[in-house]
Amino acid sequence: MLSYTRRWLLLALLGLGLGMALTQGDELDPYKEAERQRELFKQTSGVLPGELYAAQGEELFGQKRGPKNVSLEACDFGLGPGKLEGAYTQMPRYFADTGKVEDLESRIRSCMVRLQGFQPQEVKREEVKALTAYVASKSSEMPLNVVPKHAAEIAMYNLGKELWFRRAGSRDMNCSICHDRHAGGKVRLSPVRSPRQGLSNEWPAYRFEEDKLYTLEDRIAFCYESVTVRPPERYSEPMIALSVYMLSEATRGGNKFTELPGFTR
Amino acid sequence: MSVKSHLWLLGVVLAGFTLSQENPFQQRLNQAIQSGGSPYAEDLRQDADQALCSQYRDKLPPDLVGPFTQRQKALIRYPQSGKLLGDWKQGEAVFTQPRKGNCYACHTGDPKEKGAGRMGPGLVGYGQRGTGEAVVKYTYQKIYNAWAFQPCSLMYRAGYHGILSPEEAADVVAFLLDPASPVNAKR
Repeated sequence: MLSYTRRWLLLALLGLGLGMALTQGDELDPYKEAERQRELFKQTSGVLPGELYAAQGEELFGQKRGPKNVSLEACDFGLGPGKLEGAYTQMPRYFADTGKVEDLESRIRSCMVRLQGFQPQEVKREEVKALTAYVASKSSEMPLNVVPKHAAEIAMYNLGKELWFRRAGSRDMNCSICHDRHAGGKVRLSPVRSPRQGLSNEWPAYRFEEDKLYTLEDRIAFCYESVTVRPPERYSEPMIALSVYMLSEATRGGNKFTELPGFTR
Repeated sequence: MSVKSHLWLLGVVLAGFTLSQENPFQQRLNQAIQSGGSPYAEDLRQDADQALCSQYRDKLPPDLVGPFTQRQKALIRYPQSGKLLGDWKQGEAVFTQPRKGNCYACHTGDPKEKGAGRMGPGLVGYGQRGTGEAVVKYTYQKIYNAWAFQPCSLMYRAGYHGILSPEEAADVVAFLLDPASPVNAKR
């Protein structure tokens, strides 16, 4: 049994520790908190949730599926069929076979439709997200390289820029007023970055506060919702246009992707 | 009719025609917005001054600033009681609630609130200004319609959009100015 003195000492130390933990909690840096949460995942399960999504995506990628019973190994993400290494660093981009500028999510859906024979409405969002995590993981920590060249890519960049500056809704918002003019500030505890500072370089990412994987389109939708604007549909032109704009600007800023899938709040 | 008045009429008709014609980029933009679905397209509709801010990337040329702020000032409505300094406790709730003022997203207020944002100026001790008529009126107008002072600012037009009623705006004024409010607690 512990002596009274030792018990007292232990309690005092415990109290001190708790006090320190609480003081730290007062000024928690969201980046440090994400790092801490990530470490806890590593320690307890040895694997990150984002890696699990990517593993699920890898399985889906190799499986023969759909009415045509083929895998996605012939899907061309811009570097040739099945070439995944670094492909995401150059997306969105123009694809001659569909005649459209597609982001990674839209391209996966196109391949599920065109190669595997799914109807567009049959394509499951959860599968696209897992596949996005897998393909993006092949561009982890690589420099961004989205440079609009094709006329359709330049048109998308210009549309995205216009949407970026469009003030609307009952909160009178646009993207720029926070992400350009007030970049460096904080909304609540969240630091606000500009595209040149790398905004958009961590998606797809696992958000531990939501316990979900968010793609860049999911994150754009969340941003709109938080300023009470009902977001554009997934795979729609505004999604592609805003992605082209942000990723091009992040490329100009000389940014790299974080670990992909990312891990964030 | 004289030739002069005919010319004037022609001018008006031509101007109307030009305004109703969207340029090809605008047409393409609207098409893209529509492709995002009708809820998005509906929510992305703009009033004339939101459109002006977008056009000038939130930096109006100097000659447009005066007319802009005057238009915004004319949109301000006041409580029927005429009281612009309301109840600070109710003001605190309105200031805090995300679906109401959501002011902590960008501003400090009660220094005990540790999760306050840092987008706008800090408001701890705002009441040092006193409760003179000019201070109360300015604070009320700024809360009701921020664009009446700073065109295209990040701060939104809470009263104009009906997010805050005139009475609720007056309550927020009290939260900022009342000496009893935690915003103004002696530290």
